[in-house]
Amino acid sequence: MKFKTFAAFVAPSLVMMLLFIAAPLVSVFIGSFQLHQPVLQEVEEESCTPGFTGQTCTTTIVTRPVIAESGEMLTTTEWVGWTNYTRVLNPEAAWDAVTSFDWNALMQVDFWAALRFTLMFTLVTLPLVIGVGLAIALAVNNAAKHVRGPVIFVSLLPFIITPVIGALSIRWLFIGDGILTAGLEAWLDRDLALFAQAWTIELMMLFYRVWHVAPFAFVIFYAGLQTVNQDTLESAIIDGANRFERLRYVIVPHLAPLIVFIALIHLMDAYRVFEEIVGFTSQAHVISLQWLTYDFLQPDDSGNRAFGRASASAMLTMVGIVVLLIPLLRRTWRDHKGGSH
Amino acid sequence: MNLRPILMAGAISAVALPAAADCAYENDVSLRSLSAAFEAWTAVTDAMAECGNFEAELSQEFRTLQPEAMAANPALYQLGGVSNGTVTPLLNAETIRPLDDLVEQYGQQLRPNQLIRINGQTMAIAMMVNTQHLMYRADILEELDLDVPETWDEVLEVAAAIDEADMVDYPLGATMATGWNLAQDFNNMFLGYGGQFWNADGTPSVNSEAGVSALETMMEMTEYMDPEYLVSDSTYVQQQLQQGRIAMANLWASRGAAMDDEDESQVVGLVDAAAAPRAMEGGPPATTLWWDGIVIAANIPDEEAAAAFQVAMEGIDREMVEANNDAAIWLIEGYEPGRLAEGAIATASASPAPAAYPSTSQMGLMHSALGNELPAFFTGDVSAEEALAAVEAAYITSAQEAGVLE
Amino acid sequence: MSTPRAMRQPLALRLTSAGFLAFWCLIAAFPIVWIAVMSFKSPVDAFASNPFDVLFGPATRAAGNGLSLLDIVAGLVVLFYTVRLALNWLPRMVSRFAPGGQMLFGWIIAATGYAVAFVIAFFVILPAVLGVLNPILGPLGQPIVGLTTQHYQAVWVDNAFYRNFINSMVVTGGVVTISLTVGTLAGFALARSGSTIAFWLLIIALVFRALPHSVLVAGYLPFFVNSAEILRPWLGEAAPTLYGQPLAVIAVLVSINQPFTIWMLRSFFQNIPNELDEAARVDGCTHFQAFRLVIMPVMWPGVITTGLFSFLLAYNDFLVTSLLLDQSNQTMVPAIAGYFNRETTTTDQVEAVAAAVSITAPLFLLVMIFQRQIVSGLTAGAVKG
Repeated sequence: MKFKTFAAFVAPSLVMMLLFIAAPLVSVFIGSFQLHQPVLQEVEEESCTPGFTGQTCTTTIVTRPVIAESGEMLTTTEWVGWTNYTRVLNPEAAWDAVTSFDWNALMQVDFWAALRFTLMFTLVTLPLVIGVGLAIALAVNNAAKHVRGPVIFVSLLPFIITPVIGALSIRWLFIGDGILTAGLEAWLDRDLALFAQAWTIELMMLFYRVWHVAPFAFVIFYAGLQTVNQDTLESAIIDGANRFERLRYVIVPHLAPLIVFIALIHLMDAYRVFEEIVGFTSQAHVISLQWLTYDFLQPDDSGNRAFGRASASAMLTMVGIVVLLIPLLRRTWRDHKGGSH
Repeated sequence: MNLRPILMAGAISAVALPAAADCAYENDVSLRSLSAAFEAWTAVTDAMAECGNFEAELSQEFRTLQPEAMAANPALYQLGGVSNGTVTPLLNAETIRPLDDLVEQYGQQLRPNQLIRINGQTMAIAMMVNTQHLMYRADILEELDLDVPETWDEVLEVAAAIDEADMVDYPLGATMATGWNLAQDFNNMFLGYGGQFWNADGTPSVNSEAGVSALETMMEMTEYMDPEYLVSDSTYVQQQLQQGRIAMANLWASRGAAMDDEDESQVVGLVDAAAAPRAMEGGPPATTLWWDGIVIAANIPDEEAAAAFQVAMEGIDREMVEANNDAAIWLIEGYEPGRLAEGAIATASASPAPAAYPSTSQMGLMHSALGNELPAFFTGDVSAEEALAAVEAAYITSAQEAGVLE
Repeated sequence: MSTPRAMRQPLALRLTSAGFLAFWCLIAAFPIVWIAVMSFKSPVDAFASNPFDVLFGPATRAAGNGLSLLDIVAGLVVLFYTVRLALNWLPRMVSRFAPGGQMLFGWIIAATGYAVAFVIAFFVILPAVLGVLNPILGPLGQPIVGLTTQHYQAVWVDNAFYRNFINSMVVTGGVVTISLTVGTLAGFALARSGSTIAFWLLIIALVFRALPHSVLVAGYLPFFVNSAEILRPWLGEAAPTLYGQPLAVIAVLVSINQPFTIWMLRSFFQNIPNELDEAARVDGCTHFQAFRLVIMPVMWPGVITTGLFSFLLAYNDFLVTSLLLDQSNQTMVPAIAGYFNRETTTTDQVEAVAAAVSITAPLFLLVMIFQRQIVSGLTAGAVKG
């Protein structure tokens, strides 16, 4: 295909990505080295606020930004080098904690606590999603033809349901004396509070993610199982391979590209874990990297946001994903070189 | 599975829509408003909509959106709904206009305490106040022959007595959900102990005696609370009280009326309200005063502003209050405090009176720092002093970033 | 085709497999079924800690809302036939009446019509008939299970949720259409080009997909709100305020979804033999003509599958739509968040549950109808890695 034709075909897609993803990305990258500040002044101000009957007036010194002739706030933009990154990473406190082997102190720095959870979440859910997805696919493939339709339908439900709603529905089952907590309490004969400590919340978040994503792995594996070469399977049987060996040496290699594909998608999605933190209000116990970025960006009541730190934390998140993806990308590169048309 | 009521309701609403009812002012300028989304705002904006050509946006994201939308030229919204917290960015950027001439022309029915004045200029019109009050199960206290507690020490004693008698799941509830709620509960207690957030030079001073006492009292409270308190927001606490699982809670005043809602509550008529408890003898009730009100954008033509003001006046008039009496503690003429509003009024008129929530840039930063750093104390990872030191460190970083601290 | 003997499985394995599947189906369906049950109860019942109170709804029944045995049986029969018809009769009707290229639109029209017909049959005709029958039948007609549709009434009628529904359809429809149009072109070109540029484009797309969305959205907001002012030098007075415009949100969602779309479609096109379009090129077609005449007729299974993923993304999106759309253009998912505001009550929560169930219903219908296409589309090669 000539380059010109190629460009014409790709252009619309590329322009959209450049405009709505690359442009914000560049601004985030630049922003991570900058600090925007309003020019401030101190003024004496009398403010009156209502009580139920009367009003109380107080005179205080408050900080207000300087407003220019044009009606805009005066701001300054400063290049601050790695300052934003230092503030996010807090290397001093982290290094102190590492050298004194104080895990608890390290976990008091938000970034490292978030990194710990995000990595744990990603690496634990990955094999679970692939394993559970494969198990369901094999079981469905094994089931009688007439039940397959309904079973596939039910299996896909957790995947299609709106994530916010999925997380809420699981939360309602467990929070306070939600019916599943009540059930567990009756069964174990003790009082349970699943939202009161970190490990139970983390377990619920892991469960939710696997519940939500396993169907995606399942449907792709199931599609892959439909194209397993029957001849190879039969010759494996003639060679005396047992059921497990057939799975290990024929089916899994056939599905290998799909496993890579699912791993790729899942690594990216899990590393961005965010809905779970909000859905399970777990901020007290565990936070994730994207939540950290989000939290920097959420304005407080007075409208302050930490743009610089948010940008730095977003760039760090991206670097993390790219590092995780490198092994998979190298494989794609080999395929590309080998199998190009 | 009866459909008749659905069809009926559909028919009624179809008939009711075009009739722009009870509005003395007929609006012909296209107006939009942006505010938070809770019941009082629904009531007010519905009343405004009766004047015609009015579109209300009740958004959860208004905090993110409002400063940007008001700063656009022309502003995307003529009217804004704010509280004493969220008015700060608008005051800072000067994107809302002084209302004195409009008040003089169209606002005769306003009470003087509704006018929010900064340096003598009216910048906002308050419509309601909000604060905390102690809600308690009157039947339980009576059965155990206990007095209504007035200080937090007494609350803890009463809680111990209720716990002893084992009459409810947990004697106490509190809105200690991580983040904004927990920080607000700390602020209440901290101010109740006479704490000062800043030194004279602008450096933070929460790591003080008052700060440690506040955290210790809160920790003592948690012994009588549902262990899931770090996810308990006001809705959850209200629900626990309604379902009879807790006996006492220091809750927002706007939550009061729900206790007598027969559709939701299993304790109708059993809950009473008293003033928010004091943290120390002779101190103010450990709470802060809040108001919600209306502002008008600066970046719009004067005619639009006049129309917007008149529509707003129709929204916060006597008829609206009479129709929605229990939706809030209204400041508007015609409001009749109900049984469950008494506690809030007692809080607001206590002597010494609780402070108003300080609406400054610094307070916003402090609130975020508290919300982020205090949970580590409650999960047991750090001591009170360590947590408060972390709060100060976090505050210093973000204050330097925002330019309010050298 | 009979299974070869060696492929037959011992009973124990089959039982384990079936047991595992049953267990999985229970876990998969339970939370969703449970919120559906909650949505029909009064607030007191919905959040009761005793599961039987939630199921049978004593407080709801006491308030005079209940179902008799007859109601339940009749309802189940109607539901059963609805599903049967959707799975068997509907696909046949669509394939008979919709012309080849317009399958997608045929499905959209058929699904909408079917949904409307179901709502009328289930919520209008059935209650009317039962309303007559119940009093006649004595004990069979007595309510045994508490059930109320008042929350659905509050959501759809009082809170005008249908407007959010229409907005959701506009945004989702726009995203799917544009995403697929733009994506098939790019996916085709990437599949047919072995150049290094193509590879790096794919890798960059992948990195784009990895970006945390909250960062992107925060970047859009100031630009969208001030776009009229920013664009005025070029567009003059016609410069639009992008904030609140469904079109702008569609563009954002399409872009966010492009990486996944072009990856899926590229792998799919790679499995359409190269010879097909090369033969057309030999016959004198340009690349575009070859694409239109030869590739388009055979690409539908992959496109439908990819389209479903686009649909899910757009329909389920919360972060982008909640921040960039105003009230009058609000879609359903952020509208639900409106129930969880500062002053949320238990009633609000049950209404939110009813709204959540309402949101899920169209997804049900979609998967029911397209289930076979998803699997066959994936099998046909959209996921060969």
